[in-house]
Amino acid sequence: MLNAAVRDALASAVGARNVLSDPVQLRSYECDGLTGFRQVPAFVVLPLDTESVAAAVRVCHEHGVPFVARGAGTGLSGGAMPVADGVVISLQRLRRVLEVDAVDRRAVVQPGVTNLDITKAAAPQGLYYAPDPSSQQVCTIGGNVAENSGGAHCLKYGFTTNHVLSMTAVLPDGEVVTLGGDTGDQLGPDLRGVFIGSEGTLGIVCEITVRLLRVPETVRTLLADFPSVRAAGEVVSDIVAAGIVPAAVEMMDNLAIQAAEKAVGAGYTLDTPAALVVELDGPAAECGSQFEQVKAICDRHGCTRLHIAGDAGERAKIWMGRKAAFAAVGRISPDYIVQDGVVPRTRLAEVLGRIEEMGQAAGLRVANVFHAGDGNLHPLVLFDEDAGELERAEELSKGIAELCVELGGSLSGEHGIGTDKACSMPRMFGVDDLATMDRVRSAFDPGKLCNPGKLLPTPRLCGERPGRYRPHPLEEAGVIERL
Amino acid sequence: MTATMLAPTDLRGAHEALADTEGTIQIQGAGTAAEWAGAPLPTDTVLDTTRMTGVLAYNPSDMTVAVRAGTRVSELQAELATNGQRLAFDATRAARGATVGGLVATADSGPLALAYGSLRDLVIGATVVLADGTVARTGGHVIKNVAGYDLAKLLHGSYGGFALLAEVVLRLHPVPSSARTVSLDCPLDVGAERAALVLGSALEPVCLEWADGTLLTRLEGTPDGTEARARELAGLIGGSVLTEEDADAAWARHAELTGAAVVRVGCRPSRLAGLIGAPGGPAVAGLGTGIGTVQLPFGEVDRMHDAVTAIGGTSVTHQRPPSGVRAWGRMPSAIRVLRALKNELDPQGRLSPGRFESWFGEFGNREENP
Repeated sequence: MLNAAVRDALASAVGARNVLSDPVQLRSYECDGLTGFRQVPAFVVLPLDTESVAAAVRVCHEHGVPFVARGAGTGLSGGAMPVADGVVISLQRLRRVLEVDAVDRRAVVQPGVTNLDITKAAAPQGLYYAPDPSSQQVCTIGGNVAENSGGAHCLKYGFTTNHVLSMTAVLPDGEVVTLGGDTGDQLGPDLRGVFIGSEGTLGIVCEITVRLLRVPETVRTLLADFPSVRAAGEVVSDIVAAGIVPAAVEMMDNLAIQAAEKAVGAGYTLDTPAALVVELDGPAAECGSQFEQVKAICDRHGCTRLHIAGDAGERAKIWMGRKAAFAAVGRISPDYIVQDGVVPRTRLAEVLGRIEEMGQAAGLRVANVFHAGDGNLHPLVLFDEDAGELERAEELSKGIAELCVELGGSLSGEHGIGTDKACSMPRMFGVDDLATMDRVRSAFDPGKLCNPGKLLPTPRLCGERPGRYRPHPLEEAGVIERL
Repeated sequence: MTATMLAPTDLRGAHEALADTEGTIQIQGAGTAAEWAGAPLPTDTVLDTTRMTGVLAYNPSDMTVAVRAGTRVSELQAELATNGQRLAFDATRAARGATVGGLVATADSGPLALAYGSLRDLVIGATVVLADGTVARTGGHVIKNVAGYDLAKLLHGSYGGFALLAEVVLRLHPVPSSARTVSLDCPLDVGAERAALVLGSALEPVCLEWADGTLLTRLEGTPDGTEARARELAGLIGGSVLTEEDADAAWARHAELTGAAVVRVGCRPSRLAGLIGAPGGPAVAGLGTGIGTVQLPFGEVDRMHDAVTAIGGTSVTHQRPPSGVRAWGRMPSAIRVLRALKNELDPQGRLSPGRFESWFGEFGNREENP
């Protein structure tokens, strides 16, 4: 337990009422959306402004106490899991939209503002904030910056890093700096870009300037059923080959469809092996002609049912089915793990076949929901903890993420590495790669107090030595070499 | 002092060039931005990247390509075009032979940045070589990827000061089947007003630039679609739709003006016209991006830097001013982090000294007193 001196210092930094130390209160901060990893912190502080965030960080810095920033706690990689005897700095009370500038199309917001509330604030001006993670109603922009969040529409519109212009950030020693600027141009190297997606390990973001986009003239959405996942995958390939950049292409397999349909009744076909959601947006005429092309491509690949959203309400219903899929899986399985991996889109069919084999070998079901346009998979490993299946499920889930790396992809497309996958990082990166990342971390945080134990593997977390490096497939193929 | 010239052809050679040498090293690409930013200090070695060329992996279906960093963007574009694809990037220097690595290191961008951002938004993976020869990989070959720190971002705008960029993986876009440009001859303040109309419309311009008396708006898409939108746009701003030939000429003039710039500035788009209109020299204004370039006498450069700094913008010279005139408008707010990064990645201050003037001053001193 931390001593009273730290508590007093935190109290003078953020106000005594804004420091929690009651064990019952602390327990509600013990984990984020990845509930398998839990740790009760020593204190939670709830600062009200940038200056008190900086003051709290300075206290931690001076006393050598580790600290973890926390937004809504919806993260799925344990990135906001507290550190034992450490401090959690909650940004939940910094939730003001400071400015919406319709002329220069940007908004300035505090980190505790939810993703969707930015769009709500911009909507009267015909503008919106593009990145849209499935949890957008509750997840905060501060967390989005930490994780470089994507969403269903990032295939066309990009990720958080493409939409944040600048940030006021508190560095791990309490200094307040600006990262980024008013345009894409910066003075020197792109520190903004390094900070975004650093999973809370390089500092705490306190004020964020985001780009706003004009709402497109037209949005067209269809839901199409296919006799196989492979056929649906071919449709995606043909759409891309036709030079069409859809706003979103989402795929669900039968298990995921059954779960979603039971939960929200969005009108998906219960017995179809696979379904695609394709959304196009843009100028009306071009959007319309490309939509006809997409319909023709669907027909060519044996589409068994095509449902076109007739209005915004029907579109919302289609998306409700897709976005509800994660939680809905709880209806068909007592427990489940959400995985997040990426493969080159052309290897989707291959990876799905391998996942099925791995699931059979483990005796577990895997439901698949994914952003098909960019190869970002979200396999849902179903299991029953009461039946003693947890360990097998975790093994299978980890195996799937590492399979993605083996196929030339990534351990994570949007959920982050956090606590969950830090020990898998040596599967994707070599010793020198990780050592270089650690140098970057040291430049920001030489004392290693800012969200320690996340993102990079540590001996304490992963055993004495990280797992042996396995050559990247491109290396084996002679495409790349590691020196 | 005559510098030793090294011109590796691949990653192994690049690794050796840094691991097996001592002393300072100037990293040099095609030299199209040699006059940009701070003047390079003389170094023991010059590392020429222009022989590190070629495509390492190109899978058109995944719309990604991996190249050696010395590859010229113009040559890459020609290869991609055979598959109906492109790197959605059109900085003026690309046509003049600039390399992928050089364009990343100098954080350059062109009119298309309005729709596609700069190379920081298009690079999805990289292999870098640190000053001590360490080879480090970041990102990967997939568009969506959040595993690990994004070291490629750190190299964007680093002018060779943090590491050598050896290999780069880029995301690609389809070449649009049609492009049209709408033009309006007008002074800058009128251009700014009309640009606001364009940005407030649903016409989705990919480029929106005022180039010394002409507002140019480019639309991309299908032939029918761009024709209809171009007509609507011309009506909205009172301009005319250019023929393909005239559009090419107008954009060539834009490129020529950009190439002749003395200072590049960035600020909130609505403030750009007031900023770069003031000196009265030929100027180019990205009225949607907030990035502009201006020609002015060297004697007025510091005044421009001060005006930009006063409104929180960015500025850097694109011609080498005489000593005593600043190349950079100001140091970034997080200069302490930049210095710490320099110290971690290049503790001996070997790489490309001088390009950031006094930012990494302590290393400059070390070079003078080895």
